Amino acid sequence: MKSFISLAIAVAAIDKELYAAEAGMPQLDPTYWASQAFWLVLVFLILYISISKFYLPKIKENLDNRENKIKEDIDNASKFKKQSEVRQKEYELILKNAKKEVSKILFESKNILDKEIKTKKEAMEKEIEKEILKAQKEISELKKNSISSVQNISENIVSNIIENISGDKLNESSIKATVEDISKKNISKFL
Amino acid sequence: MASNPMQQFTVFRIGPEIKIAGVDLSFTNASLFMVISASIILFFLFFGSKEKKIIPDKIQLMAEMFYSFVAKMISDTAGTKAKPFFPFIFSLFMFVLFCNMVGMLPYSFTVTSHIIVTLIMALFIFVAVTIIGFVKHGFKYLSIFVPSGVPAVLLPLITIIEIISYLSRPVSLSVRLFANMMAGHTMLKVFGSFVVSLGILGGWLPLSFSVALTGLEILVAFLQAYVFAILTCIYLNDALNLHH
Repeated sequence: MKSFISLAIAVAAIDKELYAAEAGMPQLDPTYWASQAFWLVLVFLILYISISKFYLPKIKENLDNRENKIKEDIDNASKFKKQSEVRQKEYELILKNAKKEVSKILFESKNILDKEIKTKKEAMEKEIEKEILKAQKEISELKKNSISSVQNISENIVSNIIENISGDKLNESSIKATVEDISKKNISKFL
Repeated sequence: MASNPMQQFTVFRIGPEIKIAGVDLSFTNASLFMVISASIILFFLFFGSKEKKIIPDKIQLMAEMFYSFVAKMISDTAGTKAKPFFPFIFSLFMFVLFCNMVGMLPYSFTVTSHIIVTLIMALFIFVAVTIIGFVKHGFKYLSIFVPSGVPAVLLPLITIIEIISYLSRPVSLSVRLFANMMAGHTMLKVFGSFVVSLGILGGWLPLSFSVALTGLEILVAFLQAYVFAILTCIYLNDALNLHH
């Protein structure tokens, strides 16, 4: 579009004053073409040489420096990260060991405690059993004694009753046998 | 001011007449603005690369942005083989860009609005690219005119078209830049003279057009420099990496 307009303008200008270029298109006036070419080449050459020899290497060096610095920093960061990871692992290991130790100590002390409790319990139980046995013995002795004394009492009562009722004295041994017989029959009720 | 919109392109002599072997090589306003543009570039790059900061200041950042912009343009279009030509492309891009931009200043002269300037640059690129092509590939470089995968019937026609398109490269390259610059400046001048002739009452519309066109022209100035450089890269790519 743009170039079309410009071409239209150019063509119009050329058509109007074809032989008077300075009035139409000064670009088509060849008077200073050589001069323009000469100065263009000269200026561009100087520009090219100074750019390619001085400025571009400088800028490139600068950019490279920055890139290297960034890379270095990133490397350092990753190094530090690795170090911190190692430290973290070490710390975790220590923590783990400590935990193990703690659990071990806990376990041991628990065992000791358990053992102590067990021995004490056993001792207690033994003592208790002993006491129970003793008590049982006492009880059985007491029972036995009581049975014999009950028998004696019963014999006395029986002989007294018979004496009072009949006025006769019965043979002691027969009374004893009878009482024993009865008490034997009934003893299971009481024991 | 003359009302002729083409007057701004007039070249006139500054200082003494310099004649070497009968050829007029006088210093003209065109030469002056070439020198100004080149000086601005050199000053810019000088201050842009003077201090080597890890965190760049504004001017250093700009210089580095230009550097990486052109570097990326070359590597994208012509690959790594084009690296030796980076300084040339960079100089070319900077020169065209700054000539265009300096031309946008009022009362300045646009170096690139002259066909002879753009034609010399385009012809140099054309010749250089052709030489590079022949040096790199020998006579195999002629295969650039014979695209692969074309039916045998069409081959002569396609080859002729390819040759014409190859030969018209310097013309299209130079006319594109020259015509864009000339058209833009002519339009600015035309609208500017409308503002003056329509006066305080009617001049506002062409003035607003002028403002908009100035913005557009700055865009075009950058775009044409970019196009000039990238087309150079593409031609270079054809010469360096023969695809056929």
